[in-house]
Amino acid sequence: MRRLLKGTLAVVLLGLAVAAGSRALRAQGAKVPDLSGDWTADRARGGFGQSLSIADMGGRNRGNEPDIPYLPWAREKTLSEKPSTGPNSQFDVTTDPQVVYCEPPGVPHIYLWPIKTKFIPTTEAVYILYEIGPFFRVVWLNSKHPDDPDPQWWGHSIGHYDNGDTLVVDTIGFNDKTWLDQMGHPHTEKLHLTERYKRVDQKTLELDMVIDDPGAYTKPWNSHRNFTLSDTGFLRYQQICSVRENQQFFNNTAKPAVGTASPK
Amino acid sequence: MLNVLRNATSRTLVIMVAMAVGCLTSARVFAHHGANLYDMTKTVELKGTIAKFYWGNPHNEVAIDVTDAKGAVVQWIAYTEPPLVMLERGWTRKSIPVGEKATMYIFAAKNGSNVGTLNRIVLQNGTELTAYDAPRPATAPTPAPAK
Repeated sequence: MRRLLKGTLAVVLLGLAVAAGSRALRAQGAKVPDLSGDWTADRARGGFGQSLSIADMGGRNRGNEPDIPYLPWAREKTLSEKPSTGPNSQFDVTTDPQVVYCEPPGVPHIYLWPIKTKFIPTTEAVYILYEIGPFFRVVWLNSKHPDDPDPQWWGHSIGHYDNGDTLVVDTIGFNDKTWLDQMGHPHTEKLHLTERYKRVDQKTLELDMVIDDPGAYTKPWNSHRNFTLSDTGFLRYQQICSVRENQQFFNNTAKPAVGTASPK
Repeated sequence: MLNVLRNATSRTLVIMVAMAVGCLTSARVFAHHGANLYDMTKTVELKGTIAKFYWGNPHNEVAIDVTDAKGAVVQWIAYTEPPLVMLERGWTRKSIPVGEKATMYIFAAKNGSNVGTLNRIVLQNGTELTAYDAPRPATAPTPAPAK
């Protein structure tokens, strides 16, 4: 009997190992899009801006963008915020949580920063690295979201390859502490973000996004970012948020510019 | 800015206002924390000696000592984007030689304080380093009105 149990266990374990190996081989054999390289915002094609609104990337029409389907509270919340950058920035009194609290930007806000992004594909996940933080995300391949994920800064991401040329990332489980962009667009824990990364030529990466948050917007809406290949090297300097360094910067260059200048 | 002009004219402190036409429409200008604190429509020219170059987060800072008409040294501080971004534009932590003469062009504080956002700097050896690649003035810089 004991021998039978041992044999059965061995067969089961072997079966599991084969299945796992097959999954890995399938993953390795699948056409994986080449996203290698260091990707920076393509300023020439509007890849760098203040807002996720495609109609108002510069943020001049904050709260009244034609392509953002606000719920009333979300519009009021947006207009109540004081951005740290942009045409109507109020840096000295900003409510930008990244500036005030040194908090992570989250996604998609991180794509409003002038930093580079790098993709590290493996058989079980794609790791997305960023020069600010330095932060990283894990996009689990061939996986599922937890039934009830803890709300967190970067949410829970799963992904797959589509058409052999696109990495599709599906993220839920966000907390509601980040802004969607520099303009203070809010979101709730109901946010469901879909990202599609596609390398359209050797030096060009495009990102299409669907922002689906029924807690803040009446319907899903789209955004887009452009990236270009950079050859200057990844993470040559660590973009770290330090309260001490922020305070030094504010005292040196911003505080004197607030209010009435002291006599020279 | 009027205060800047009133206080600035001298042999050694030459401030010229250059109308940087087009800056208002530059998305990159708006990427900075400038809209409510600094006058992003024109640059101020500062000739002096580099007193400090801070290379670090959240923004680099360049301090320049400028001697006014009475011989008093006035220090101006201007900031750039962070090292990560400036590396992309060819800057390093050794780009600005402390102690050397230089000319800085800055978007100065609206309230007349000696602070601003760096547009570009011309070093003693003639090397010009751009902080923003904001559009250049459509016309040559105009000297400040004589007093």
